[in-house]
Amino acid sequence: MGEPVEQGPKHSDANAAGEELPFESALARLEAIVDRLETGDLPLEEALAAFEEGVGLSRRCAGQLESAERRIEVLMESEDGPQSEPFVSPAGDESLED
Amino acid sequence: MSEDRRVLRVGELLLGLRELLEQEVGRVWVVGEISNLHRAASGHIYFSLKDEVGQVRAALFRGNAARLAFELEEGLLVVAQAEVSVYPRRGDLQIIVRRLEPRGQGALQLAFEQLRARLEAEGLFADAEKRRLPAVPRRVGVVTSPSGAAVRDVIHVAGLRFPSIPLLIAATRVQGTGVEEEIAAALERLQGVPGVDVILLVRGGGSLEDLQGFNTERVARAIRASRVPVVSGVGHEVDVSIADLAADARAATPSAAAALALPDRVALGGQLRGGRQRLMAATSRRVERLRLHLDHLGTALRGQAPAARLAERRDRLQTLRTALGRELAGELALAGARCEELRRRLAASAQLGLAGCNARLAAAAGRLEALSPLAVLGRGYAIARTEEGRIVRRATQVPIGASLEVRVAVGALAVQVVDRRD
Repeated sequence: MGEPVEQGPKHSDANAAGEELPFESALARLEAIVDRLETGDLPLEEALAAFEEGVGLSRRCAGQLESAERRIEVLMESEDGPQSEPFVSPAGDESLED
Repeated sequence: MSEDRRVLRVGELLLGLRELLEQEVGRVWVVGEISNLHRAASGHIYFSLKDEVGQVRAALFRGNAARLAFELEEGLLVVAQAEVSVYPRRGDLQIIVRRLEPRGQGALQLAFEQLRARLEAEGLFADAEKRRLPAVPRRVGVVTSPSGAAVRDVIHVAGLRFPSIPLLIAATRVQGTGVEEEIAAALERLQGVPGVDVILLVRGGGSLEDLQGFNTERVARAIRASRVPVVSGVGHEVDVSIADLAADARAATPSAAAALALPDRVALGGQLRGGRQRLMAATSRRVERLRLHLDHLGTALRGQAPAARLAERRDRLQTLRTALGRELAGELALAGARCEELRRRLAASAQLGLAGCNARLAAAAGRLEALSPLAVLGRGYAIARTEEGRIVRRATQVPIGASLEVRVAVGALAVQVVDRRD
């Protein structure tokens, strides 16, 4: 009885907004890279490649964290299936940013 | 003696009684316990209302039965608004129930408890069924009214915690008749959207009547059917709703629900910084180890490089030249001193001529010449150099077929190695 427990986004999923690795996956990958660098005795080529990838991931994650750009949309049902459009607060004189 | 008797037929008696009851008693409120509950196929419900004294038969017809907010149960204490009548066919006293309410608690409250017990028995609320919320959702779905405080609270909290995570609102009414269908439909609409990793089901505070939509079986099943975890934040009351029980996580308010679903980016930032620092530290340690190793190799290598060999040779040559110069000066000085001495002795004795001095000088010059590296060439030796200019001292230094420059006393030759004897 009941559905199997869902674990969250799979690392290979592309998000609807673009092809970027999801934040959670990127952070997990960064941790894995750091573990390898700290414990493994990587050859120079691999060490530098791992470092580069780590820096790239760290920058992308930081970018997502720092971004203050909001995206709030309303899901509409249409003939072509679900569509989304930007949300407009119905109370005209009330600001969303309290 | 005959008495005057008014004789009624049975039907007349019964119908007369009925008319009397309907006119004189009419509509009454009766409290009693339900027993002998029977639901007919027609949709009419028949039961008895009883207390310690006796019981009366009751009929609840289909139309009124459908309007019941709660389920009838054996033994339930109820208050009925009913018309008293007689059912002629069986000669029974009966009450025709118009309205029915539970005694001791509200109908909605009772309905809630009955539904809760039933769904709980089915396992719909089991802890084992609850799913873990994602640490960082890609998108957050929100089922709520597009107007009202709940959606504003969610947007506000999301903006504080992690503004760049998109919110997708599936709009629905949150109270009124039939609202459970809309809520369920909104939940279902979000199922097909990629990237939605968690759904918030929220509405602001209200009375038990207002919140009824969230106390329905339809909404509870729609929550369990969701592909992703659902966080409920219904009302501002301490009491929980059926939706709260069915959800994977529940919060006291819409704001609290948003805080459960969205991580705090400040905390994540700290985690990210920690990871970045470890990355830098681990890499620089690695690079430093390699650099030291390279330095060691470099030092050893520099000793073997052609330019180094040449410089080494040049250094040795210079040393040689300096030593030669000293030797030369020494020899000359020696010869000169001897000449002086001889001249003095010449003055004393005329037998020794300048020729003797000259001869001695010539001899000294000759020995000097013999020490010059170029004189070595004059004696027949040759200096062989590789294309890079390295002086060849060992045959093993050059491969067969290599080109060499051979410097002899006068001039030089370009030669190619044909054979080698090690």
